Amino acid sequence: MKNINWKKELKLLPGYIIVAIWVLFTAVMLSWILGASFSTSKEIFSGSIFKFETGIHWENYVTAWQVQNVSVFFGNSLLYSVVACFGVLAISAPAAYVLSRWKFTGGRTLRIGLVIAMSVPIIMVIMPIYSIVVRLGIKGRVLLMLLYIMMRVPYTTIYLLDFFATLSKSYEEAAYLDGCSAPNTFLRIMLPLVQPAVVTVTIFNFMSVWNEFFMALIFTSSESMTPVGVGLLNIINSMKYTGNYGGMFAAVIIVFLPTFLLYIFMSEKIIAGVTGGGVKG
Amino acid sequence: MKKNKAMIFWFSLPSLLCLLIMFVYPVCRTVLMSFFKVESVTAGLSDWGFNGIGNYTKIFGSQTFRTAMGNMLLIWLVGGVITLLLAMLMAVVITSGIRGKKFFRAAIYMPNIISAVALATMWIQYIFNYDYGLLNEMAKLFGGDKIKWLGSDMKFWSMVAAFIFGSVGYYMLIYISGIEGIPLDFFEAATLDGAGKVKQFTKITLPLLKGVIKTSITFWSINATTFFLWTKMFSPIDTEESTIVPVVYLYDTVFGGKGVVTRDAGAGAAVGVVLTLIIIIVYEITEKLFKSDDLEY
Repeated sequence: MKNINWKKELKLLPGYIIVAIWVLFTAVMLSWILGASFSTSKEIFSGSIFKFETGIHWENYVTAWQVQNVSVFFGNSLLYSVVACFGVLAISAPAAYVLSRWKFTGGRTLRIGLVIAMSVPIIMVIMPIYSIVVRLGIKGRVLLMLLYIMMRVPYTTIYLLDFFATLSKSYEEAAYLDGCSAPNTFLRIMLPLVQPAVVTVTIFNFMSVWNEFFMALIFTSSESMTPVGVGLLNIINSMKYTGNYGGMFAAVIIVFLPTFLLYIFMSEKIIAGVTGGGVKG
Repeated sequence: MKKNKAMIFWFSLPSLLCLLIMFVYPVCRTVLMSFFKVESVTAGLSDWGFNGIGNYTKIFGSQTFRTAMGNMLLIWLVGGVITLLLAMLMAVVITSGIRGKKFFRAAIYMPNIISAVALATMWIQYIFNYDYGLLNEMAKLFGGDKIKWLGSDMKFWSMVAAFIFGSVGYYMLIYISGIEGIPLDFFEAATLDGAGKVKQFTKITLPLLKGVIKTSITFWSINATTFFLWTKMFSPIDTEESTIVPVVYLYDTVFGGKGVVTRDAGAGAAVGVVLTLIIIIVYEITEKLFKSDDLEY
């Protein structure tokens, strides 16, 4: 163990206080919500949530999961996120590969188009998309799956493109000499080589789809296709009638947990991904 | 390496189609639609009536839209100054050599990765709650009076405060990566020359962070202009004057909401175009103001 340099630490004290207050506030908020999710509405209002005088109310989670339909919302969000992650990879990885490898007609335009599309606000596309969707009569879960896949293509393609560009061409030359076809070379050699980038971009796609709200609100037409964000909003709006605060806080915890757990295990990778990608001064 | 034309074609076609269907065609149609009288968003081209700049004069003539623009401006300016200053403060503290740097960094960024709907609910149902909320419990502790944080006069600022809390971590990460990009010997040389910490910050750190600050302002502008979710959470059922923002106005005019008699997709498209123009203009201005000299170090 290193010796603590007290003089240095003392100088840093104001800094410690600032970040500690911020983190403490976050911790108080999260633990209170967790405590409330195991309490009755009465306990929440009388401010005695951490005493658990009437026991730990697991049934809040059961109510939220079954009665308030969180199981449906959760399943939908999981489906959208997982399908979108795979779908977008199937579209973006091949495109990123050929864009990084060869100059071809329209390649530059496609690349610039994708970069611009990354910063197009969703409000500029939502109305025509709505119109197309209604005309074609696309409904239900498949609609949001398709939209989420297409929504993530520009970001994913551009992100992977930078990584493919760093790979040496000697891999392909060796594969060619060994008689491996070009598409096979991509699938079996090049794609596994960018695996770390694929993992990072997939985490971001997952979180982005899990937390998406605007399109979900516009296109959700039935309970059976509602994802967690809109579902939680519906639960809160019906609180006036149910008055079940414990159940609502349980729902909040269920919605909050997946990306939070992902973050607990992968925070280093996620943080490196935030600043490693497009963000450069 | 041989160029395999068929492979290039089939590999890039799906992403090209996505780009065209999801972005190029909709953007063109939205811009076009903003100059036409279109009632229903699903109306075909044959039902569009040319309206010149009628939609634009309509929205700017609307009191609700002007209120929404005013709120957006406040969020952008006041929220932006506070968020970016707090983010810079956190970034400086975290790069100052404190222990547990990784933990603090991860904890402060955390609100950005959780569902914003869940985060907003935590603030509304706990922090700001009148009966048992954290702020009023604190007030009680110090002998103060309870405050109606979600009453109509406080709601807007409560919403902005919660939004700031959720945003600081992201900008902090951007600043940290900027600060860590500055070579340490710059600071060592400055220390040898007798420059204090404050002087080092204003004379070395800030000027070298020009590019990063520019990026953060652009991102903040996009976030403030497309502000929607927090308003929806703070006034979930009926849109209220106090929290309305342009995207909510757009949502209500196009998809129906309280006080909207006839839907007007054309006006909605005009709102979209106006907001996009604002983002482009802010981007151009910051580019000019913070002309980065592309320093190499």
